[in-house]
Amino acid sequence: MSEKSIRQQFADTMLAVGEEDPDLVVLVGDISHFILQPFAKACPGRYYNIGICEPAIISMSAGLAKMGFYPAAHTIAPFLIERAFEQIKLDFCYQKLGGNLVTVGSVFDYANLGCTHHCYDDFALLKSLPGTQITYPASPVEFDILFRQAYRNSSLTLYRIPGNQHGQDFDAEDIRLGKGIKITDGSNLTIVATGPQLRNAMAAYNMLGDTGWDAEILYIHTIRPLDTGIICESVSKTGRVLVIEEHMQSGGLGDDVLRATRDIPGIEFSSLAIPDVFVTGYGSYEHHCEELGLTTQGILDRVNADFSGTHFRE
Amino acid sequence: MNKDLRKKIARMVYNGKDGHMPSAFSIVDIIEVLYRNYLRYDPQNPRWQERDYFILSKGHGCLALYVILEKYGFITEQDIDRFCRPGGILGEHPDCTKVPGVEASTGSLGHGLPFALGIALGLRLREMQNRVYVLVGDGECHEGTVWEAANVANNLQLGNICVIVDWNGSAAQLMPRDDLPAKWRAFGWETTVINGHSEAELHRALGNVTFQSHGTPAAIIARTVKGKGVPMIEGHGVWHHKIPNEEEYRQIMESLS
Repeated sequence: MSEKSIRQQFADTMLAVGEEDPDLVVLVGDISHFILQPFAKACPGRYYNIGICEPAIISMSAGLAKMGFYPAAHTIAPFLIERAFEQIKLDFCYQKLGGNLVTVGSVFDYANLGCTHHCYDDFALLKSLPGTQITYPASPVEFDILFRQAYRNSSLTLYRIPGNQHGQDFDAEDIRLGKGIKITDGSNLTIVATGPQLRNAMAAYNMLGDTGWDAEILYIHTIRPLDTGIICESVSKTGRVLVIEEHMQSGGLGDDVLRATRDIPGIEFSSLAIPDVFVTGYGSYEHHCEELGLTTQGILDRVNADFSGTHFRE
Repeated sequence: MNKDLRKKIARMVYNGKDGHMPSAFSIVDIIEVLYRNYLRYDPQNPRWQERDYFILSKGHGCLALYVILEKYGFITEQDIDRFCRPGGILGEHPDCTKVPGVEASTGSLGHGLPFALGIALGLRLREMQNRVYVLVGDGECHEGTVWEAANVANNLQLGNICVIVDWNGSAAQLMPRDDLPAKWRAFGWETTVINGHSEAELHRALGNVTFQSHGTPAAIIARTVKGKGVPMIEGHGVWHHKIPNEEEYRQIMESLS
């Protein structure tokens, strides 16, 4: 597993892309200021630590996009997505301007900071806006490749950077915007995992095998546009799908998988997500996952509770 | 005072059965002077790279912008006649993806100024000398994003931007401590107060803006009268979003004759 944080990769990618492309401009709300100094030095005039005013940062970024620049606006997720939502809606999306939103503090990464610093509705919010792209790179190489593939296109793109990684290594050519990655071949169960939760899916794989489940694990780094093809092909074969994600159940990946697979005869569907409540406790990221069942054991429990055991009849 | 433009606005509201007439009447003289004497543009090529940018942040005043875009050749009389009609391009808020010459889709207040800051910063990065004008309402200055942007523009020394505040008294209806010039000065803007219906005073203020790439941003606080030109609709009463009936329309047109 890579030792580098995805956030550091963000800074490294800004530097590398910024040196090649004079139209990349980075605007931050006093987050990642120090790790972005190499970009600031290499690309004078194209780095702005604007201040604590996220809506203005988004509107300004849209103005820069109008002038032909490729803005990357960056701060903690709830402030960039929830606080500045109307600016995203009107200044970028309604006016058909492309740009890049790079968030840290995914979900409850700031575990002890309370709901003011949590954000687990960002997929739902951005899915409600026409034309957006939503990525969730949970390893450094994914961030680097997905950013390079998306940052200049005409869409507004979210890069949700988690503090934790899934630990899988992918070949660079397998990482393509809008394409899922099949990790294991299986026959009677599909697990669709996104973000760091792929780690739990991989840990559950052998244990599921011990009880007769032959799981096909699909990894999704692009929530929108969603690779429904890879999902439907798998579920048509297995007949069962479990989605695991760090997002509220409402508006998450699970909703999209259910909609994509609803016409597959006899499909059984289950989802592991954050119930529609505020996560108000304290502790670590791992503690919150434990409380919510976003764990290896949570996957085993859900599979055994929600899916029929028809495979044992074979 | 631009009586013919006001008549055209009144006709659009009467025929389209929608629109904010008094808000347009308070700014139409300002926009007319801008397009006649200050903005550089090419109506045949609205996205001409050398153009100046005018952003109407108080989008509900768009009738004033529409009649001027028609006067200077960006849109047609047919466009005007289709205001708020299916198939038309002109609605009650301007849509930059539909209307040639409109730089920003506004309507929700507080968006135009920070958006314009991005344009101004982009121009500076490209070492271009185009000027950026933003017209905001005084009521709009209740929005926090106006002051976020005012603060940022001063800190980035975006001297290529000029804000014109339509000080028509809407704000004081809600917050009577209406010290707008002091606020803009406190935020570091070069601030001038004028009569926004006086062509001479508009020239004095607009002619003094220096538009430096790095420098103090300029704020022109224009005292105006909401509904200016038609005594019946002047002020802050029911006419904000009221559509005249046949008799009222006749009276409005008579006032403007």
